Amino acid sequence: MAGVISAPGKSTQLVLVAWLRWRLFINGLRTATGKLNLAVHIFMGAGISLGVVGLGVLLGVGSWYAIRYGKPALVAGELWLVFLVWLLLPLLISGFGAESDPVSLLRFPLHYSSFVLLAFAHGVFDPAAAACLYWLAAMLPGIAAASFGALAWAIPAFAGLALLNLLLNRAIYAWLSRWMAQRRTREILGAVGILLAISGQFITPLANRYGQRALPWVPRLTAAARLLPPGMAAAAISFGRAGSGGKACAELAGLLACCGVLGWLLALRLRAEYRGENLSEARRPSIEAYTPVRAGWSMAGVSPTVAALFEKDLRYLLRNIMAYLTLLTPVLVIVVLSMGRHGSPHPKLAGFMLGPSTYFPLGVAYILLTVVGLAFNSMAYDGSGLPMLFAAPIRFRDVILAKNLLHTLVLTAEIVAVFVVIQLVAGHTPARVVGLTLAGALWALLANLTAGNLVSLYSPRKLKLGQMRRQQASGVAVLVSLGVQVCVAGLGAALYFLSRWAGNTAWCGIGFLALAGITWLAYRRVLNLVTGIAWKRREALLAELSRPD
Amino acid sequence: MTDLAVETNGLCRRFGELEAVRNVNLRVEAGQFFGFLGPNGAGKSTTIKMLTGLLEPTAGQVRILGLDLASDPIGVKSQIGVVPEGLALFDRLTGPEYLIFAGRMYGLDRVTAAERTEELLDFMGLADRAKSLIVDYSHGMKKKLAMAAAVIHGPKVLFLDEPFEGVDAIASGTLKAMLNRMIARGATIFLTSHVLEIVERLCSHVAIIHRGELVAQSSIDELRCGVSGRRDDEQKLSLEQIFLEIVGGERAAVPELSWLE
Repeated sequence: MAGVISAPGKSTQLVLVAWLRWRLFINGLRTATGKLNLAVHIFMGAGISLGVVGLGVLLGVGSWYAIRYGKPALVAGELWLVFLVWLLLPLLISGFGAESDPVSLLRFPLHYSSFVLLAFAHGVFDPAAAACLYWLAAMLPGIAAASFGALAWAIPAFAGLALLNLLLNRAIYAWLSRWMAQRRTREILGAVGILLAISGQFITPLANRYGQRALPWVPRLTAAARLLPPGMAAAAISFGRAGSGGKACAELAGLLACCGVLGWLLALRLRAEYRGENLSEARRPSIEAYTPVRAGWSMAGVSPTVAALFEKDLRYLLRNIMAYLTLLTPVLVIVVLSMGRHGSPHPKLAGFMLGPSTYFPLGVAYILLTVVGLAFNSMAYDGSGLPMLFAAPIRFRDVILAKNLLHTLVLTAEIVAVFVVIQLVAGHTPARVVGLTLAGALWALLANLTAGNLVSLYSPRKLKLGQMRRQQASGVAVLVSLGVQVCVAGLGAALYFLSRWAGNTAWCGIGFLALAGITWLAYRRVLNLVTGIAWKRREALLAELSRPD
Repeated sequence: MTDLAVETNGLCRRFGELEAVRNVNLRVEAGQFFGFLGPNGAGKSTTIKMLTGLLEPTAGQVRILGLDLASDPIGVKSQIGVVPEGLALFDRLTGPEYLIFAGRMYGLDRVTAAERTEELLDFMGLADRAKSLIVDYSHGMKKKLAMAAAVIHGPKVLFLDEPFEGVDAIASGTLKAMLNRMIARGATIFLTSHVLEIVERLCSHVAIIHRGELVAQSSIDELRCGVSGRRDDEQKLSLEQIFLEIVGGERAAVPELSWLE
């Protein structure tokens, strides 16, 4: 047998990995979708690049002005912008998902230094990092033009800040990857991401309400920001230009110390990854206490099959943290709306636009938009279990009916929650408004379920529980859903204004109920058709929804 | 005339230009432990999907226990149990929840489904993970659970796609015991497997599919006699030797790798 050969050198390994990435990219262009994606990226990239270049010029001019006229806070502001974009943009783009990392290459004899370099390469070739590096470089000519002496301090300060950002970015990803490796932590992190996004909705109303009271905190926050890396880099330049070399050196040393801490944290992760830590999906097996098996649910008015399917779908919903947050949003939005009303600078106008009479219809409309989104891709989460539904002796009508019942239950619960919130926060909603809104909601729900049932069978898309990244229904589903909402809203508005013109809005309610009756007939017809459609389309449905991850 | 549990006539399946299954005529008698063999990509999983209603044939007919699958899918499905290729588990349910759900999908009432679930969990050694979600189960545990779900309603015909793949020796023993007990009670089992030793030990009859066509179908002993006759061999051939003779004859001389000399 031939002798064992030695591992290739570090440079050869890096060249091989670069070649691998290049081949993956080229092979990705074999399909029409791959080519289209590249065209979209080039087109979007060109637009974004223009913006990046433009902002770079502005930053250059800004830094010239700041140094020339002694405004160190402006340099600090620019550096904060660079720091935050570098930190947050990759996170927002990746949607709190794990990125491809060099850990997958560890089955080969990869040197530790190659592994570290690859981890850094991921950070440097990130679009946000490239843009931020360009912005830092673009600020240098501005500083040089204003004061050549300041440039001598700006170069090490910017280099330190760039190194710190790179280390911070890599450290965040390394730790995120660790948490993303397990389902529970992945879901919790995803939920935190959505909560942060929802929290963003509260900024304006909170600023309106508490903005004045928060003003005394601004100087304290500015002083605190001064002690953080972008502040340190700006201070180093400022001290250096003023001739306080010692203080400037101290700021740079502080920056380097931060780099050291981050480097240590990153090294902890990278070493653990390189040694081959075990972060499997499966939890550690543990013996659980015996629990007697409970019989499934029974539901009055529906067959045992539908009851079992409903139970399964409800359990799935209750175990989907993302769904909780999505369904929580309408209630939060209503709270935000009512807070905005109190803080509006034009209370008369706000009172005319928004009030207890309008909150409820608005809230219900928002809930409908949220819940019917689920109905247009109702089998999204059935995934690997779907073949079981086709192999079992059941009519697919029952599968769809159970999902429709669940969506109706969720909608009802949400409407009740929003109603209670409005009564508590904004005051009494007139009974006439409640009646009209509920009649309209009934019709809208039936219209959406009718269309949604067909779209779910003709244009399904698999979604993964507990993930934010690329979790959208198909384009057709989005388009049809939009069309249905436009039709329902248009027809509903026409009915409402006609009834107002006729002097009695009760006619509008009767119109809604009549439309609901007609839509009910269409809904029944579609429900009776879905078994045949699903049977004919089972291959396409299984191919899309049950494909392995 | 013997009752046929599985019968196909001219079964074909095309995927675009590729003819994955071509004119397959299977005959599986009731009560047989039947192994369906073939090399990778031969058409085993495609055939089993067509037999269980998960894939529509391009042409041909499938009859299970005398019922036509195309015209009476519900009637057929009530009689069969399936462990498909991907196991078809709803992985955000716990093991007991899934088994009760499966039982009720096959028409068991709530109480019976719960009773059988308890018994099956105990039999499969899954009772101590009753609170865990299936997504957190190991591969072997998922396989046992899929098998439990396939038998919860007492099917007359059981279709198993690679049931022993990734299952440890202890679990494999449990599954084999259960399958043998089902055969003793008159059920028919139709399984695909790459592990020919297991097929040889369990199955009385086999069919071999190669490049989409059925190339052999009989009892293992008959197949052995046929191949031995051709080879004029005195010693008893293993199923692996028979299989290689039928589908791998053209690669009799295994090429060598220069650097492994």
